[in-house]
Amino acid sequence: MPPPSISKDLQTGLNPMSPQIARRVRETMETPRRKSTAGRIAGTPTRSFADRLHVHGRTPTRPSAGGASPSVAHTRSPRSYNATGLGHSPRSSVISGRNAENFIKQRLGVAAVSPSGGGKRGKAKERMYDRFVPSQDAIDRASSQFNIRDTTDRQKLKTLDPDTLAYQEQVAKACGVALDKRILAFNAEPPAAQRQDFRTSWSRPLRKPNSTVAARRVKSEPEKVLDAPGLSDDFYLNLIDWSANNMLAIALDNTVYLWNGNTGKTAPLCSVTREDTYVASLQWAPDGSHLAVGLSEGDIEIWSLESLKKMRTMRGRASRVGVLAWDTNVLSSGARDGSIWNHDVRLANHRVASLLSHESDVCGLKWRPDGQFLASGGNDNQVVIWDARSSLPKFTKAEHTAAVKALAWCPWQLNTLATGGGSHDRTVHFWNVSTTGKIASVDTGSQVTSILWSLEYKEFFTSHGFPNNHLSIWKYPSLTKIGDLEGHDARVLHTALSPDGQTVATGASDENLKFWKIWEAKKKGGKCGKSVGEKDVEDELVNAYRRMAIR
Amino acid sequence: MATIQKGKTITLRGSAQIVVEFFNYGINSILFQRGLYPPEDFRMVKKYGLNLLLTSDDGVQAYLKAILSQLDKWIVAKKISRLVMVISSKDTREVLERWSFDIQLEQSDDRKENFCETKKSKTEKEINSQIAAVMRQITASVSFLPMLEDPCTFNILAYTDKDAEVPAEWIDSDARLITKNAEQVKLRSFSTSVHKVDALVAYRLGDD
Repeated sequence: MPPPSISKDLQTGLNPMSPQIARRVRETMETPRRKSTAGRIAGTPTRSFADRLHVHGRTPTRPSAGGASPSVAHTRSPRSYNATGLGHSPRSSVISGRNAENFIKQRLGVAAVSPSGGGKRGKAKERMYDRFVPSQDAIDRASSQFNIRDTTDRQKLKTLDPDTLAYQEQVAKACGVALDKRILAFNAEPPAAQRQDFRTSWSRPLRKPNSTVAARRVKSEPEKVLDAPGLSDDFYLNLIDWSANNMLAIALDNTVYLWNGNTGKTAPLCSVTREDTYVASLQWAPDGSHLAVGLSEGDIEIWSLESLKKMRTMRGRASRVGVLAWDTNVLSSGARDGSIWNHDVRLANHRVASLLSHESDVCGLKWRPDGQFLASGGNDNQVVIWDARSSLPKFTKAEHTAAVKALAWCPWQLNTLATGGGSHDRTVHFWNVSTTGKIASVDTGSQVTSILWSLEYKEFFTSHGFPNNHLSIWKYPSLTKIGDLEGHDARVLHTALSPDGQTVATGASDENLKFWKIWEAKKKGGKCGKSVGEKDVEDELVNAYRRMAIR
Repeated sequence: MATIQKGKTITLRGSAQIVVEFFNYGINSILFQRGLYPPEDFRMVKKYGLNLLLTSDDGVQAYLKAILSQLDKWIVAKKISRLVMVISSKDTREVLERWSFDIQLEQSDDRKENFCETKKSKTEKEINSQIAAVMRQITASVSFLPMLEDPCTFNILAYTDKDAEVPAEWIDSDARLITKNAEQVKLRSFSTSVHKVDALVAYRLGDD
């Protein structure tokens, strides 16, 4: 007589079983049972269970008419039946493990529960029915129990009467086990995430950042190259200027040539005939009708473009005029002795002011477009800002460590001035003239010889001398470099911006004059239409006046 | 929520719809908040006065739809008592988080059966504000839930009555409880005056 099965004991003797244990037993019984039944009763396990159900007079719960397919109902109901039959599974004590086993032992006082005794072991292994049971220990117990079941339980099950079932249910109720509940899982696996490692992106914003505008492309080749023989290699001179009506003036040694940007023709304008005198600076008047020419011995000549004749010579200076700047009728000149003179070209007594602050060569001079301030830079490394109404400096900046030739007022931010230092300095500083504070600085890596602002883009252009002799285009105010242009073999000393703001002319000491189209105009459709629209408005006004006159 | 009209009480069917809708947004929120799917897969929608996220992945949408349509049937048939979203490690299948939603019928089982007349029926606004509170809690729970280090997947469990109709896609399962070091936090609940939904999240604490 084999020892009584544990499950039997559970049914009969376990009235005070705690709900916890009961739940545990129940939960552990759920899934593996299918396998075990399938393995144990080869062939049609579900059928046999269903048969048993009928024998016991319990109709298996079927879905109501029109429900799920009958096959589903059949395969399911035995299982749910099994769930009610607390401990019918041979695995009940197997999975719940040693704790439950010990508990049962203690509670029931079953001494000889362990079925894995003596000679049964070999047989048990031989008839092992479940390869999914992980531990050897468990297999032993399970198979032994199965052995017991195999020989005795079949009859026992058949003889289970409705009383026992009712009793089972009562026990279950008392234990708080809800036998009328089942836990279902949606069988399908959820679709896998496309990307595996997404945890790093948890903190990322949901919206993608606006895609950055593609970097602007700048032609790296010059549009045009002209020879400029005799262009002097002197940092302190300013020998190229481009007028408002598209005439480029360039001084080669002692002669000034004009290059017509519309026709592309070149013609000499004037020559200095005196010995040892050369052209040191030139500057077009804002309307492009006159050209001021500063000479090395101090004279300043005014030439008319229309008649190609000299209108006037302004004398009085004793040292080289290296830089000139126009403000309508006032021409400012910076000289080697550090003085800046304002000449009113309409007056016979032309000198209207002398601005004295620089101690050495004045090489940079720029009026603000509205004529309120004059910025000057000198070989004494100073930048001086002058108020137009005063001959005393508004303020002086001495942050550059080399001569300041490059000066430029920002065309869209009137109070911003950019200044670039020479070969020891190599930085460009940005000043706010209203607050007199520094806005920003950028190290260019080379001697800064000139700065030009774009009229259309929020960008500026710098030309450089030693050591790289390159041209750079920068964004402002981000100060990121858009690109470098390599084209000159020697330092680029003189630059000029075309009146349409698209082309930059650079003259270098390699005696080349190059034209770079770096700020190509953005396509605008409105210009032509606008003028047409204006015409229409005018016509309509005229018509209206006529009508009024007739009345 | 077309079934809810002004001055009328909420029917069982309407309530089921509200509850299912809540589960749709709730499960989607959890999927997003717990990072089960990449954030790019989600789009923002306004609901319950909140900005909620719904998956835009077709596969996940279809998967959830299959679950929720069955859930709706069960709720209408009054056969479901709990819905559980189990988040488990993809590799080890170890259960790491368990979002459990108890669904209780609030109406006593009168033999009238035909869903009307609750003593104090709620307005849509009240219900929505209650649901919004639960949603907020789900979002906020990210702050105390442990990080999910491994790639994770999720499963939906339904606690149904024994006599519920079960389509073939649903199989019996164990409760998939968290085996060790579990901690649980009860969240708010909401009620449609027909159903009361209690939310609870259980999670596994770190080993240390």
